[in-house]
Amino acid sequence: MSVTFENNSFKKRLTSMLGVDFRRMFTSSLFYIMIGASLVMPILILVMTTMMDVTVSVNPQTGAETVMEGFKNVWQIIGAVSGGEQTMSMDITSMCNINMMFFIISIFVCLFVGADFSSGYAKNLFTVRSKKSDYVISKSVVCFIAGASMIVAFFIGSMIGGAIAGLPFALEGATALNVVMCMLSKILLVGIFSSIYVLASVFAKQKLWLSLIMAFAIGMLMFMMIPIITPLNSTIVNVILCLVGSALFSIGIGFGSKAILEKSSLV
Amino acid sequence: MNAIEIRNLCKNFGEKQALAGLNMTVPMGSIYGFIGENGSGKSTTEKIICGLIHPTSGSIKLYDRDYTDSDVRASMGVLIEAPGCFPNLTVWNNLMIQATNLSIVNKEDAVRKVLTMVRMEGSAGNKYKNCSLGMKQRIGIAMALLGNPKLLVLDEPINGLDADGMRIMREILTDLASSGVTILVSSHILGELEKIATHYGIIRGGKMIVEMTSEELENTCPTFVAIQTKDMKNAK
Repeated sequence: MSVTFENNSFKKRLTSMLGVDFRRMFTSSLFYIMIGASLVMPILILVMTTMMDVTVSVNPQTGAETVMEGFKNVWQIIGAVSGGEQTMSMDITSMCNINMMFFIISIFVCLFVGADFSSGYAKNLFTVRSKKSDYVISKSVVCFIAGASMIVAFFIGSMIGGAIAGLPFALEGATALNVVMCMLSKILLVGIFSSIYVLASVFAKQKLWLSLIMAFAIGMLMFMMIPIITPLNSTIVNVILCLVGSALFSIGIGFGSKAILEKSSLV
Repeated sequence: MNAIEIRNLCKNFGEKQALAGLNMTVPMGSIYGFIGENGSGKSTTEKIICGLIHPTSGSIKLYDRDYTDSDVRASMGVLIEAPGCFPNLTVWNNLMIQATNLSIVNKEDAVRKVLTMVRMEGSAGNKYKNCSLGMKQRIGIAMALLGNPKLLVLDEPINGLDADGMRIMREILTDLASSGVTILVSSHILGELEKIATHYGIIRGGKMIVEMTSEELENTCPTFVAIQTKDMKNAK
């Protein structure tokens, strides 16, 4: 007696897996909570720091004064002009800006991918879909889209927050096109971070705490490069650099994720 | 051709040997009762067949192809331990996700069909986390049945079910076997499978002790006495 099996092409497999992941993403409350948080966060940051005005703290031992200044311009929350003094400083405008979204994305990715393993869904999936590359590609694409949506939500929130706080929208040292390029660069850069977070999640599997620690640690190492690669006065060169870098990193890290899934036990 | 053919399968977890040269043959169209005590290696064998853990050595063939062949694997249905469902999604949505994974064209009809097969038509809208153990096991079977699998691998599906749940599960498995599906079902109690299995494999310490058909089993153990009591203490 002979048995015939249907041949599932790469396109068919990937389409179905992307269908599942997008369906899961758009029906999960986690995605909307993260988008909501990304929208509200810049509003709170801009309004609260504007209300705070200038705070001076004095170290009682050394007598040194630390001046904490709030945002003087809406665009400071998106990025600083390259060569400007705020690019690598540790004040509030450098730390509480759109770049911190690259950390917050890790929460979504780790919870989203970790749920596959903690719920046992990965068992169902890898039994009938043995190609680990499909899984890694699908997760990387979906997490990239989610991360990009969160970056866009933060941008929208920044504009709303700026308007509420009454901050000026005047661009200094950059044009509107530069801002568009800056945002495009940041969105493309999400590809690198989401791939890293997917790698951490497939390594940790159902251990969510481990994936979050790994994601934060690796993200921290790469955090400083974000303002340098994506300044407010970005040009097409920055966009191309981010596009190429993101594609190469995603492919390389994707191979790492695939190797982990193939070599390790899935339950 | 056999549905599953395993030769000299070994699996070590550190220094512990879970499988020690297991040989196993599951004929096509059979209900294969895979019997063994807890810790004998049943689940490990099934997880290896499903590609969830890697063997240390040995060969596994499914329908004369390597067990990693993606086309063969796409025609498998699996229930290992608990069903892999998202607790906050409804039964319907969980099944729809698996139907999409399997690239089923007419997903709604396929999901409706399997829900009817496991007698759960009325519970499609329930959230998975609110389902009882028996319902969850049946959802697991329904999930495994999506895509008309040729081979079903079930790890102790009757575990924890009440008498009615067991009866329904037996009926489902018998119906499936009559439609030509090969079923590998494990249990640690022989009595649970004796009414449905056509073949048996008994495993102990990671090795297959014996494989036989249900007729051979009947001839080997022709009679037994079952005593029921309401007072176990005094009966001893």
